[in-house]
Amino acid sequence: MSKRRNLKKEVREKLNDDVLRDALGRFAEVYPAARAKALENIEDLDALRASLRDMKRDAVGRIDELADTFEAEATKRGVTVFRAKTGEDLKKYILDLCRARGVKGVVKSKSMASEEVDLNPALEEAGIGVTETDLGEWIISLAGHKPSHMVMPAIHLNRYQVSEYFSRELDTSIEPDIAFMVQTARVTLREKFLRADMGITGANFGIAENGAVGLVTNEGNGRLVTSLPPIHVVIIGYEKLIPALRDAAPILRLLPRGATAQLMTSYMSLIAGPTPVMVKRNGGWKEEHKEVHYILLDNGRLAAARDDTFREIYQCVRCGSCLNVCPVYALVGGHVYGGHTYAGGIGAILTAFMSGMEAFEEFNELCIGCRRCTTVCPGMIDIPGLIEELRLRSVREHGLPFLMDKIFDVMTNRRLFHGLLRAASVAQKPFTSEGLVRHLPLFLAGMTKDRSLPSIANVPLRDRLDNVIKKIDNPVQRVGFFSGCAMDFVFPETGENVIRVLQDLDMEVVYPDGQGCCGKPVSATGDVDHTKKIAMNNIEAFEACGVDAIVCACPTGVEQLRGYPRLFEADGEWKKRAQRMAGRVEEFCSFVAREYEKRGRLEKAPTRPDAVTVTYHDSCHLKRVLGISEEPRKLIESVAGCKLVEMKDADACCGMSGAFGVRHSNLSIPILKRKMKHIEETGAEIVACACSGCMVQLRGGIDRLTPDKKMKHIADILAEHISN
Amino acid sequence: MKRSCDNRQGTIPPGVFDSRLYEEFELRAKAVSAELFRIRRPDEAVSIILDIVNETGAGSFASVPCPLIEASGIVEALKGNGVAVYTEQADIAEHIGTVDIGMSGVEFGIAECGSVCQDALAVETRLVSSLPPLHIVFMRSGNIVPGIEDALEIISGFFTEGYVSWITGPSRTADIERVLTIGVHGPSRFIIIAVDEETDGGAA
Repeated sequence: MSKRRNLKKEVREKLNDDVLRDALGRFAEVYPAARAKALENIEDLDALRASLRDMKRDAVGRIDELADTFEAEATKRGVTVFRAKTGEDLKKYILDLCRARGVKGVVKSKSMASEEVDLNPALEEAGIGVTETDLGEWIISLAGHKPSHMVMPAIHLNRYQVSEYFSRELDTSIEPDIAFMVQTARVTLREKFLRADMGITGANFGIAENGAVGLVTNEGNGRLVTSLPPIHVVIIGYEKLIPALRDAAPILRLLPRGATAQLMTSYMSLIAGPTPVMVKRNGGWKEEHKEVHYILLDNGRLAAARDDTFREIYQCVRCGSCLNVCPVYALVGGHVYGGHTYAGGIGAILTAFMSGMEAFEEFNELCIGCRRCTTVCPGMIDIPGLIEELRLRSVREHGLPFLMDKIFDVMTNRRLFHGLLRAASVAQKPFTSEGLVRHLPLFLAGMTKDRSLPSIANVPLRDRLDNVIKKIDNPVQRVGFFSGCAMDFVFPETGENVIRVLQDLDMEVVYPDGQGCCGKPVSATGDVDHTKKIAMNNIEAFEACGVDAIVCACPTGVEQLRGYPRLFEADGEWKKRAQRMAGRVEEFCSFVAREYEKRGRLEKAPTRPDAVTVTYHDSCHLKRVLGISEEPRKLIESVAGCKLVEMKDADACCGMSGAFGVRHSNLSIPILKRKMKHIEETGAEIVACACSGCMVQLRGGIDRLTPDKKMKHIADILAEHISN
Repeated sequence: MKRSCDNRQGTIPPGVFDSRLYEEFELRAKAVSAELFRIRRPDEAVSIILDIVNETGAGSFASVPCPLIEASGIVEALKGNGVAVYTEQADIAEHIGTVDIGMSGVEFGIAECGSVCQDALAVETRLVSSLPPLHIVFMRSGNIVPGIEDALEIISGFFTEGYVSWITGPSRTADIERVLTIGVHGPSRFIIIAVDEETDGGAA
């Protein structure tokens, strides 16, 4: 195991790498439109994604059977199949084969599995020349780098850097002209192809019914590696096995479109069994049968297949779409946000199984949890959800660091916690140690560059209730209000407005004083014990006041409260109580929109020349977890005097995401700035959202960068327009 | 010449090909820089290919047999114009590193993505389609399937062993600064000659 990584330092370095920032930034801008265009002639994208997911689910469910069939069918056709449990087994097999056949030169087309097990260094140590023939892979092999992207391994380098590596390798000055460098690679590598004794490839899929492998490539190197040398070795992970050729359809329809926005790659090859090869003997060419070996690699994959939760990683087709939309990847790339071989959030999960939990723990925190990847993944993998589950296991295995444990003790004790928050409102900057900044709600963090973090209100919502809670005659409903910490201690005015909007609907609003933190900052770290205590406290508080619905105006809070039953799987009594509560939880915007609609108030208000312009930012969790994006817009448009203008990428993350925004403020700020740019472009006077986490971030950004605009919660906008 | 499927017509279900899909196929293929010529009779290919020879100054061809190429008379025409044409396996293997143009037949096209499907079991088929800087394929303009799914369905009917390739435009890369660059390891030009008229001998 190499020495432990210093993630903060690595992040700092990459943020100063202008070549990387420029390349990734430009790519992030153009990718969504390019992908959308490539998907134009797919009728029902979600149905196609679901068919890929279901096919892969079925495959992993009977992986042993598929592997046996694949092996038997390939063997029947003359392929030698070897099952490698570990990387060491794989390397030994190939080295033995090279020795037995007198192999001196190997050409490779792309195989990430070979990089995962460090095959090339092992071959080189044994004196065997090995050449990567995919241009990007060749470049990084000359540079001595790891791939920084699954599909575009050299995306972190520019033409000038590439020309330096080429010049060094070829011992002559190579001009930094891209077309010329590509031709140089063609000529140089052509020689290697023609002389190689062995070709090594990966496989995009392996077909059980006929023992075939499928390869997609653009450059044509895959066809040469499989057609010129007399020996072909395929390295294929168990996750690539599919039952039948027909099952390749969803892969072939989605992989190129997601990976490079192509409808199909330049080449797709299906190879079953040894095929003819030309061999020159005694000056004449002769056709012979190629020698073919399949190495079926485990290296943690079978353990994942036997895990009910993590078998989901078999749905990954390595297209890299998830990286292409990830706001954190777009800033630091795959060398920092990645493990030994695999980049991004999916890389963190794969790394956990292939390199172990310690490697996972080193960089998984870079997942901001915005869930944008889940909207593009062809295999519909819940990447952020699996990362959270791994964090949970990591805590179960290693426990919490001592300091965090103590902090959570405090948060579990509501009176003590609230006492501290009140104290903080006086002192404002009481906690500076990293542990606290990271794991207490972010508003304790103080100030950072380019973003003000809000201070704690002088009077929290819970002490303002007398001013706002009214007695309603003949209420239509009795509603409990769960504010969450932010609305209680940072945005109490918004909390008051939530109450006003509900009362305007003739509802009686109850605010149980016993409520506390929803528990998200705690559960996000994987600490179940403390989360349970927090949940029990809130369940009791709301049971005591007997309400029909529990409204919360913070999507994370809604998600958290609805998730309480899962905490009590082993405790029937508490599970029932948690379910009773969860079933009553309502998200503010969707709840109010429904009630407005019943009362005929959701109609679009007539346009007015003096209307203020409002742009709406979709909270990641409100849109992608709760599926609510229409209702807030309709509510804005229902208000006479408000005109909605859409911003570019309204549903892109604002960069806050709870503790992430504070812990990694140097990543959070550039994400915020991009959002602010899109806000600026609309010319809107008001920025609306419906999430207190986003409010913290956007209000901070507006304060520093565009102080002429105002940040408002949907509840603020509605309350201001209630006719008295 | 070796083939993965010896009896293509017998394995291709009736009605899967639809010549009305040609326009969509052409649109998609052109979008990825393939060059297309649609002709009525195979012999019309001669002038098209001789024009390419004049334009590129090509002096040598490697060609694998297929019914459409034979019906076109192009090999004889090229030889008559002083162009070397290698058609025997051993000759192809010997000269493939230096020939200017490779020529072969393909089975059918896929409208969804502008790809052509080739039975590539014979090593000489793979050599002529992979190594020269320019690759010309012959296909029947009526042999088009709507989508990738349909294409796999057909291949499932005959593919038990061998080598099948889909080719979609010329070889390309975007590995340096994501700048699209044509012609890395494979051909930098990919030309499709689509023939309307039926010929003997099945697909292409």
